[in-house]
Amino acid sequence: MDLGFDIKKSFGEFRIDVSLSLNDDLLVLFGPSGAGKTLILKMISGIVAPDEGYVTIGSEKVFDSKTGVARPIRERKIGYLFQDYALFPHMTVFENIAYGAGAKQGAVEAKVKELVSLTRLTGLEERYPRELSGGQKQRCALARTLASEPRVLLLDEPFSALDYQVREKLRADLLRIHDAYPITTILVTHDLEEAFMLGRRIAVINNGRIEQSGLREDVFYRPATRDVARFIGTRNIFTGTVAGVNEGQVIITNPDLGVIKAFMPGEGGPLIGAEVSFCIRPEEILVIRPDKVLDSKVQDNIIEGEIVSATGKGSTQVLFLKVGTGDTLIKVELPNFVVRKLSLAIGRLIRVSLKRENIWVINR
Amino acid sequence: MDLYPLYLTIKVSFTATVFTVAFGLLLAWVMAKREFLGKAVLDIIIMQPLVIPPTVLGYYLLGAFGRLSFLGRFLEDVFGLQIVFTWKGAVIASFISSLPLFVKPARAALEGVGSDLEDAARLLGKTELQVIKDITLPLAWRGIAAGAVMAFARATGEFGATLMVAGNIPGLTQTLPIAIYDAVQAGDAQTANVLVGVITLFSFIVLYIAGRFTKGRF
Repeated sequence: MDLGFDIKKSFGEFRIDVSLSLNDDLLVLFGPSGAGKTLILKMISGIVAPDEGYVTIGSEKVFDSKTGVARPIRERKIGYLFQDYALFPHMTVFENIAYGAGAKQGAVEAKVKELVSLTRLTGLEERYPRELSGGQKQRCALARTLASEPRVLLLDEPFSALDYQVREKLRADLLRIHDAYPITTILVTHDLEEAFMLGRRIAVINNGRIEQSGLREDVFYRPATRDVARFIGTRNIFTGTVAGVNEGQVIITNPDLGVIKAFMPGEGGPLIGAEVSFCIRPEEILVIRPDKVLDSKVQDNIIEGEIVSATGKGSTQVLFLKVGTGDTLIKVELPNFVVRKLSLAIGRLIRVSLKRENIWVINR
Repeated sequence: MDLYPLYLTIKVSFTATVFTVAFGLLLAWVMAKREFLGKAVLDIIIMQPLVIPPTVLGYYLLGAFGRLSFLGRFLEDVFGLQIVFTWKGAVIASFISSLPLFVKPARAALEGVGSDLEDAARLLGKTELQVIKDITLPLAWRGIAAGAVMAFARATGEFGATLMVAGNIPGLTQTLPIAIYDAVQAGDAQTANVLVGVITLFSFIVLYIAGRFTKGRF
């Protein structure tokens, strides 16, 4: 089912102005806390009324400020998973799900049974919500929502209230359930890992606006703005001046990094003399062995720096290199074995290579 | 001993509580779930009987329902209803003075049912009536019931306003608290002791029941 919206709403200084369209897919709405993500879901579902704009489900306009259409919540057939699940505390798991199905007893029973087994709640049907774990509550709420046969599913931070260990399993569950019930879905999260794992399509939202939306790979490796680059954890975002442009390449100078060569970010690239940002993900930076003799081909974008900090992060180490005379720091993430093999430690000088194909120039 | 005051008190209190719950539930719901201009003022007006002297309340009611008032004459001329110096006056006095004791806990109970739960039901396609019937009331009924018990207890103890509006006519408008006052004035210690004992025991039971209601399961 197609879902499209273009909605605006002001709360004093804060303003939401977003438009998106999607179909039969799972879109992740990703952004920092306070970006307006939950409010967007509430406006789509009708819990909060937008100041202006429209919301379309399939071919039906459920909200349109121009014609004055505003279907009540109950007629929109939207499934909504609240952040704290909003299970009815006076009903059992079975009753909660059956209330969602809300039809005649016999038909409901079969449907509830199916959903109970799909969401791995078998044996818990007679329990009350207070007797369930966080993950069970979440799956019960999802089952209740699916029971109402929604045209669109809105999930508000569905994993934020759960322990780290169960999240991973439940994310896999969600993808499995989405395969079984391929409903147009918007999932809201501020968790980068979650966004990457669940969303084939991602929309990055900040300050009430969509900064970029597109395929996961585009958003993660080709951020459109500095903010997007920051939110997706790129960390190494630098600015420089364009010194030259030729054959799809751009040469950028930065006082600390020196001369950096990168590929052009598509057509309409930057002009000579323009100020641009460019970024590289920490895990895409290569360390060059001290004894290695470099041939001319890989001499581009070689930077020397001093390790000023090293922090373990599970299977990898995060190093910060201080380069140049200013306070530019480069974040490098390396597998533990590399750090051990090259005995990289604080205070050592090392050379790293920022390969051209790993650098992304932000055009704006 | 004349048991009429006991009978009258129960009759008046019960009738008043029916009105309190019916009207108070509406008020509590509006106060809990709706935003409107003058809400703060309405809240103060509802709560005022808690703090103004019952005699003042009685004076107001006398002014509103007396023969000289428009409302009093209207009720008498059109419906043949006489309020002042009848047991109906006692009902109105009890109703007004017990209303805040019901509205306060009932409103808190209704507010306690989070809007997310009600929205969740609406999202499942339920109408407003279904939301109230299936979600709001089942989750708030303990607070509402506790409020009703408190209101009933308050009504049984109503003295000042009742005396002003309904007077002290033995066998007609003399409720239990007024009968106690009468007995003490007349030096009838035996009657006073029995009636005081009855009302003390009664209020103890009522508070116990109200406490049971508020110890919720959910």
